[in-house]
Amino acid sequence: MSHSTQIDSKHAWDGGQSPFRVSYGKMMMWFFLVSDALTFGGLLVSYGFIRHKYVDVWPKAENVFTHFPFVEQHLPLAYVGLMTFILIMSSVTMVLAVEAGHRNDKKKVIIWMFWTIVGGATFVLSQAWEWYHFIVGTETGALRHVWSEELHTYVEQTVYGANMTVNEYGVPQFANYFFFITGFHGFHVFSGVIINLVIFLNVLHGTYERRGHYEMIEKVGLYWHFVDLVWVFVFTFFYLL
Amino acid sequence: MSEFHDDYPSYEHMAHHSEEEGKGKRKTLWRVFWYMLAITIFELVIGSMAPAQGWSGTFGLKVLFIGLTIVKAGFIVMAFMHLGHEVTFMKWAILAPYIIFISYGIFIILDEGVYSGDPQNRTTVDPILIKQQQDLKAGHGHHAAASDAHGEGHAEHAEEAHH
Repeated sequence: MSHSTQIDSKHAWDGGQSPFRVSYGKMMMWFFLVSDALTFGGLLVSYGFIRHKYVDVWPKAENVFTHFPFVEQHLPLAYVGLMTFILIMSSVTMVLAVEAGHRNDKKKVIIWMFWTIVGGATFVLSQAWEWYHFIVGTETGALRHVWSEELHTYVEQTVYGANMTVNEYGVPQFANYFFFITGFHGFHVFSGVIINLVIFLNVLHGTYERRGHYEMIEKVGLYWHFVDLVWVFVFTFFYLL
Repeated sequence: MSEFHDDYPSYEHMAHHSEEEGKGKRKTLWRVFWYMLAITIFELVIGSMAPAQGWSGTFGLKVLFIGLTIVKAGFIVMAFMHLGHEVTFMKWAILAPYIIFISYGIFIILDEGVYSGDPQNRTTVDPILIKQQQDLKAGHGHHAAASDAHGEGHAEHAEEAHH
């Protein structure tokens, strides 16, 4: 804390200090997140493009995502609301771990990191459940023209759930984008849980206590919040609009 | 201890704070959480009321949802990721490239996406699906639409369309 917290903009680029006033590791994590955000941005822009192209045959989320565990009734959006809550909650526990790290409070870091990992794992499992219902579909299904390899023509057939070529909800692109974007995001959450777990073990081991600071918690925290940030957008564009 | 053992300032320790300061920070973080929860619940309530109220797909609803999403994103980036606490250089090095990129993306969606949606610009969509969606908009049930589309003449029509 001996160094001044303010930066003199006239001398910021003169050398001997970071003009960004952050450590190398943290800045690189930010730059990685910008590049990852560009990837997700690209995917969502592509999704928006195709959705505007097939606007008349794009299904409404409230007709697709209607399931809730152990409940028979149709509850549109309820489950994804719960998933969103879990992820925001785990973002809060993560930032509380970062805050505890700033006070070198090892015990609190352990507690909050633990709950972050629990929240993340719950989210991944929820997503698996959501995918399962999306793929299996409804009992009634929907009629579609499906390409027949034997007849070399399109035949009318009742389709249940979704795969990469046809689905009962709307145009094939709807399921393709759902699988790709929520899958890509889900894989980020999965990686995040693994990274958090590694860092959690390091905390237990006392690595950061010996190092004198818990900046590593802040760096993995940045990644974790980014995952939450992406979900906020996926939630809006896939489920609300 | 600095990462490079040079005479750079030790940035890793700069965010350190006392027990007392921590209390205030935690309070702020929880407040941000409650704001975000309230926004999400509000979105879900509006979202589930929309079909019955006839708000689905309206311009106002889209603007509302996207606006609230940006507010939530702002909370995450500025409060949880502490970008609000970084120096101005850092803030803009992160935000500026992204804002430029996404502005172009929005243009592509709204201009090119709509243009390519013109029926003469797009590949053929399964006519059964088009019929189902039209019936759905006209207020028939979701799955009633499936059997409605099973009319005579549809098969030939589809064949024509697919070739």
